[in-house]
Amino acid sequence: MTSTAAPDTAEEVAEEAATASDPDRPWITVVWNDPINLMSYVTHVFMTVFGYPKPKAEKLMLDVHHRGRAVVSSGTRERMELDVHTLHGYGLWATLEQQT
Amino acid sequence: MKVGRRKGRLRLRLEPVEVALLQSLFDQLEAVLDGDDATDGTDGDGADAIRRRLVPDGYRDDPKAAAEFRRLTEDTLRAERDERIAACRDELDDSGDVDITDPDVARRWIQVLNDLRLAFGTRLGVTEDDRPYVDPDDPDAELRAVYHWLSAVQDSVVSELMG
Repeated sequence: MTSTAAPDTAEEVAEEAATASDPDRPWITVVWNDPINLMSYVTHVFMTVFGYPKPKAEKLMLDVHHRGRAVVSSGTRERMELDVHTLHGYGLWATLEQQT
Repeated sequence: MKVGRRKGRLRLRLEPVEVALLQSLFDQLEAVLDGDDATDGTDGDGADAIRRRLVPDGYRDDPKAAAEFRRLTEDTLRAERDERIAACRDELDDSGDVDITDPDVARRWIQVLNDLRLAFGTRLGVTEDDRPYVDPDDPDAELRAVYHWLSAVQDSVVSELMG
C-alpha cells in the first residue's frame, strides 16, 4: 500500500536485477496502488482499456487497493509496453515486467 | 455541477463560477506541463514532482529500460495531454453545458479531470487516509477544496458512464 504519489525511489529500483533473457516467460502489466486515483475511475479504465466486464475490473481494482498491486494483462513485451503507455495516458501508475 | 442523461444525451452542467475555475485550472495544468508549478505560484520542484507523476517509470527494477521507455513515450503522452486540454477548453463555453455523449469526448474529459487531480493531489501530498473534508485553517484549504471538487465531478461522470 503506497502512501505517496511519486513512483519508484532509487532504493526500490534495482533490488532484483531482472533476468530479462528467458524468451519463454511472458511479460505482465502491473498496476500499483496510489492514493489519488479514484476507485470508480480505476475500474472504469480497466473496463475501457481491456474490455473487462465490470466484476473483473472491480476485482482487479480492489486487488490494487488492498494488496498494493495487481497484474492486469499479460503477453509479449511489446504488447505490455503498449498497455503501460495507454495506462500512463489515463494517469494510472503502471509498469511492465517479465513474469517470474 | 450536475451530470445526467436527458433525451439520450449525457451532459455535464457547470455553474458559471465552475466554468471560470476550470478555465483557470486548464491554464495551470498547461503551465505545469511547461515546467511551472502554477498550483502554488512557484516553479521548480513542485512542477517536477507533478510531471514525474504524470509520466511514471514504465519499468520498476530496470532503470535503463525505464529511461528507454520514457524516451519512446514521454513526448506522445505530453502531446495527448496538450490536445485534451485544448479540446476540452473548446468544449467549455459560458453556458457551462458540455455534451459528453460521444465516448471520445467523455474519455478526454475524465482524463483531463484526472490529470488535474493528479497535479493537485501530488502538490498537496494526498494520502490514502485523506477524507473529503477541508479544515478552513489549513493553508492549503483552497487547493484541497478544488481537489475534492475535481474528484466529485470525475466520480459523477464515471458513474454515469459505467451505468
